[in-house]
Amino acid sequence: MIDSCPSAPPPPGGSVSPMTNFEAAVSAEDLTKRYGSGDAQVTALDAVTTAFGRGELTAIMGPSGSGKSTLMHCLAGLDTPTGGRVWLDGSRHGSADRVELSGLRDDALTALRRDRMGFVFQAFNLLPTLTAWENITLPLDLAGRRPDQAFADTVIDAVGLRDRLHHRPAQLSGGQQQRVACARALISRPDVVFADEPTGALDSRAGAEVLGFLRRSVDELSQTVVMVTHDQVAASYADRVLFLADGKIVDELREPSADRVLDRIRSLESAGRGRTAVGAGA
Amino acid sequence: MLRAMLRDLRAHLGRVAMTLAAIVLGVAFVVATWVVSDSAAATVGGGAARSDVAALVQAVRETSAAAEIPADVVARLAALPGVSRAEGVREGYAALVRADGKLGTTSWPDTAGTDWDGSQRFTLTAGRGPSRAGEVALEAQAAAEAGLSVGDSARVLLGGDRSDTATVVGVFTYRAAGREFDPAVAYDESTAAQLLRNRDAAPGAAPGFARVELFGPDEPAVVAAARTALGTGFDVDSGSTLRADQARAAQSDADVIRKALLAFAAVALMAGVFVIANTFTMLVTQRTRQFALLRAVGARRSQVRRAVLTEAVVLGLVGSTIGVALGVGLGLLAMRLLPVDGQVAYAVSPWAVLLGYAVGVVVTIVSAYGSARRAARVSPMAALRTDAAVPRRSLVLRTVLGLVAVAAGAAMVAVTSPDELTEPKRMLAMAGAVLAWVGVLLTAPILVSTVLAPLTRLLRSPGPVTRIAMRNAVRDPRRTAATASALMIGLSLVCAFATVGQTLRDDTTEQVRSAVPESAVVLRAAAFGVLDDTVLATASAVPGVTGLAVPRWGAVDVVSLRGAVAESGFTSLNPAAVGSAIRPKVTAGSGDLRRGVLLSEQIATRLGVGVGEQVRFRFLSADAAGQPKPVEVAVTVAGVHEGGDLLRGQLIDEALLPAGVSGEGDSMFAVGGDPAALRTAMEKAFASRPDVLVQDRGQLVEDMLGPLQLVLGLVYVLLGAAVVIAVFGVINTLALSVLERTRELGVFRALGASRGLVRRTVRRESVVISLYGGVLGIGVGVLLGGVMQYVILANPVFGLSVPWLTAGVALAGMGLVGVLAALWPARRAARADILAAIATE
Repeated sequence: MIDSCPSAPPPPGGSVSPMTNFEAAVSAEDLTKRYGSGDAQVTALDAVTTAFGRGELTAIMGPSGSGKSTLMHCLAGLDTPTGGRVWLDGSRHGSADRVELSGLRDDALTALRRDRMGFVFQAFNLLPTLTAWENITLPLDLAGRRPDQAFADTVIDAVGLRDRLHHRPAQLSGGQQQRVACARALISRPDVVFADEPTGALDSRAGAEVLGFLRRSVDELSQTVVMVTHDQVAASYADRVLFLADGKIVDELREPSADRVLDRIRSLESAGRGRTAVGAGA
Repeated sequence: MLRAMLRDLRAHLGRVAMTLAAIVLGVAFVVATWVVSDSAAATVGGGAARSDVAALVQAVRETSAAAEIPADVVARLAALPGVSRAEGVREGYAALVRADGKLGTTSWPDTAGTDWDGSQRFTLTAGRGPSRAGEVALEAQAAAEAGLSVGDSARVLLGGDRSDTATVVGVFTYRAAGREFDPAVAYDESTAAQLLRNRDAAPGAAPGFARVELFGPDEPAVVAAARTALGTGFDVDSGSTLRADQARAAQSDADVIRKALLAFAAVALMAGVFVIANTFTMLVTQRTRQFALLRAVGARRSQVRRAVLTEAVVLGLVGSTIGVALGVGLGLLAMRLLPVDGQVAYAVSPWAVLLGYAVGVVVTIVSAYGSARRAARVSPMAALRTDAAVPRRSLVLRTVLGLVAVAAGAAMVAVTSPDELTEPKRMLAMAGAVLAWVGVLLTAPILVSTVLAPLTRLLRSPGPVTRIAMRNAVRDPRRTAATASALMIGLSLVCAFATVGQTLRDDTTEQVRSAVPESAVVLRAAAFGVLDDTVLATASAVPGVTGLAVPRWGAVDVVSLRGAVAESGFTSLNPAAVGSAIRPKVTAGSGDLRRGVLLSEQIATRLGVGVGEQVRFRFLSADAAGQPKPVEVAVTVAGVHEGGDLLRGQLIDEALLPAGVSGEGDSMFAVGGDPAALRTAMEKAFASRPDVLVQDRGQLVEDMLGPLQLVLGLVYVLLGAAVVIAVFGVINTLALSVLERTRELGVFRALGASRGLVRRTVRRESVVISLYGGVLGIGVGVLLGGVMQYVILANPVFGLSVPWLTAGVALAGMGLVGVLAALWPARRAARADILAAIATE
């Protein structure tokens, strides 16, 4: 994992030069997203160039309005960027699996999300009419594929839900629901799992369980995870933390601890106060 | 508070529009019904009334000798002071021959011939009135049926076995002065005098007048003068009395129509109540947080309740206004489309408008009341939660009530069955059926979770579309049940009537099949006539005939040895033909008429008479002076037969009928040799007899069932309104469910469901709900029809015939309804915004 280390931290305030021999699962180049027009125009993402290493857990942090959710939505093909490009690199799907997202139509994007991405949301977002098992296998179901029973067993045991498989979401606790959502994200062995504030709606214990599970999926299943969070404890589970402010990547940290993340946030905030006076904020 | 609610209404115009649609349709149907019946009454009673007749003179019917008015009486009336003109009206048997050489059925032939005059009786729609021999004018409908127009040559069958061929010079519509039937054929005065006779008139009988119309400026004076001049034996009615009578009759006809139509409107409204109530429930559910906010900032429960009710009143008023306008339009359109001859009068009474508003507002308030109460019970705390829900009513009470109603209804039907059906028992059984029907409506939500939900598990790995669609359909049983119930209301009644119709059809077919051999050629009297001995003679003379049954029907009292009397009828037959040309269904004893009579099952049971016993038949004959006189004949009971429409009452050897007693028959059945050859020979033999139809037994069945088909067709069309309203209900439910599930749909899309898949899921949910309503409606309808045919025909309840065709069409229709109702909601669901759905607030 150390071998596939990405490039050095980006120069402050500047963009990152395209990476050459970096094994990325997802990469973005000059990714820009603007809302509105004229005076009311807001830049949510300002020419972001970055990459997310395969088999790594990357956390994206930043204050509210820094563009971290927008970045994730654009990476996942849920939102259409105003400019720039996003690549998804498949390893398990063969070498010809490098896909550029911006040229794809809705159906192709949908199939891509279904087969090669996994999602974990803050609000769990399980389908209330389906049982835990049916929720977990839904992505495969939608693709018309049968679950690989051995792998499904691994995932289910990893999230510890074996005795809850036939319950409906309403019968599960928040932590259990989020673990179902994690299992759902992993079941199709996606190229990347996007987790949007996965612990935001959980107490610290349930949150730790979910984070532990995401961590193990990276360590044991070589899963790639991109997680948006504003919680430094959550970020401390990551291999690498990207800090976003005003739509730009402003800092990066490897092998973070909660304390180091907090330090970095504080220093960014004091720097940010200078900038907000100029009048930015998406 | 109120402003907040009204703003809210305006903000959700889409949802509001669906509720409005249900109100509008219900109201429109009621108003249209009222307008049609008012206009029908005005058309018959108002615009079409004669204004020119001062008085109408008719011979009193009881003294049969004086039924016609002689020419000298007319002359005397014409000479009376105040009478400007006396017009004697002739009437006689006249039947127009159709293009196929047989008689038509649009007019009553016994009085279908008349004489042309310049009064308001005739309104020409084409050509001119007849003025000399060889010319004839035809009534519009009769002309249309016969396919004749001005310039054509018309053949008319006349009384006393004559016929006439004349050129059509005019086509008219008719206005009656009294209550006479519309004639079909009008000749000029002298030709009419020469040609018009009664059906069986002897040649040369002196023609008189059926009635005399008197004209004159002073109506009372004319009436008084005529009464004084004529004395007893004649009725003299003033023109105004006649008009009042006509208006009254028209009014009562219109009332009958109105009642029938309003019954259907009530059914449509009932479906409407379900749709409106369901829509309101959904509207309230979706605004739970808003109500909670209102409560949190200090609104009292009663204020929230009032606000929802105010919303209902506003919607009711708006919906009623549109509905009334639409209803008036529909009513007038229906009057245009109805085949009414002459001037159509349009009438829109204030009652129609008032009723429309009353129905619209009351139904909406009643529908919204439950929702209003529940909205008021929303806890202020709900404002703080994202997953807040309106408190649900428990289904227990409703289910218990429903089950009790079903059980009680079934019991009411069951207790009536062992014995003979009397009128109160019929009422009880019917009431039981309706009660059970209501019970099923009440238990519909429980059926959703106890029948439909397990069904979703029965389907092994059905794929995500079906699984999610089914789960969504059973997710809110009350909502699905209300939607399906609205469908069930119309559909179950359609199927109930279809079941009665099918049972009647099967019974009749079975009866005819068992009584008439397939090879038989059936001779039938056209135009409400009878087959007389000349037909018998001609038919017997046809080569190849080996058996000819001539059933003739008359009245007879059956008297048992114990003195019990049963009023009934007899059918006389030639014993030789029994078993070959006609086959009574013998249930006991022998079918041989040479051994004695065959009692009908009903009479045998009622009198308690068995095979081999003696009974007396009491016929009504006439003595030498023409006075009725009973004649009794003692007969032995050879057997018992089933009875029915073809062989009614007691079967008796025609040779046993006492002198002066004979029946009348409108059918004969001939067998012999090759059926096709026999039929050709019969057709040839009766080619010159427009009053005799040559048919086979299939056509006989169709003829017997024709009126039934017509009535059923009308019933289906009228019940269609209820089904249309229910379809709006399905659209409503889906559209609102989709709105409610925006978030879920977004997630579904984010996880990789394509737009097409989302559309398919919503469509399948719609089809599941529609089919549930369809299956429920058809099932309940067939059972309801079973009770209906039991009440009407006294068949056993399960002696019903399932109307497979109607049921199949209905089920397929429901599938189609499901697909169509999902069109818009599915598109809407597919457009769900993924980002908005997963955005965390």
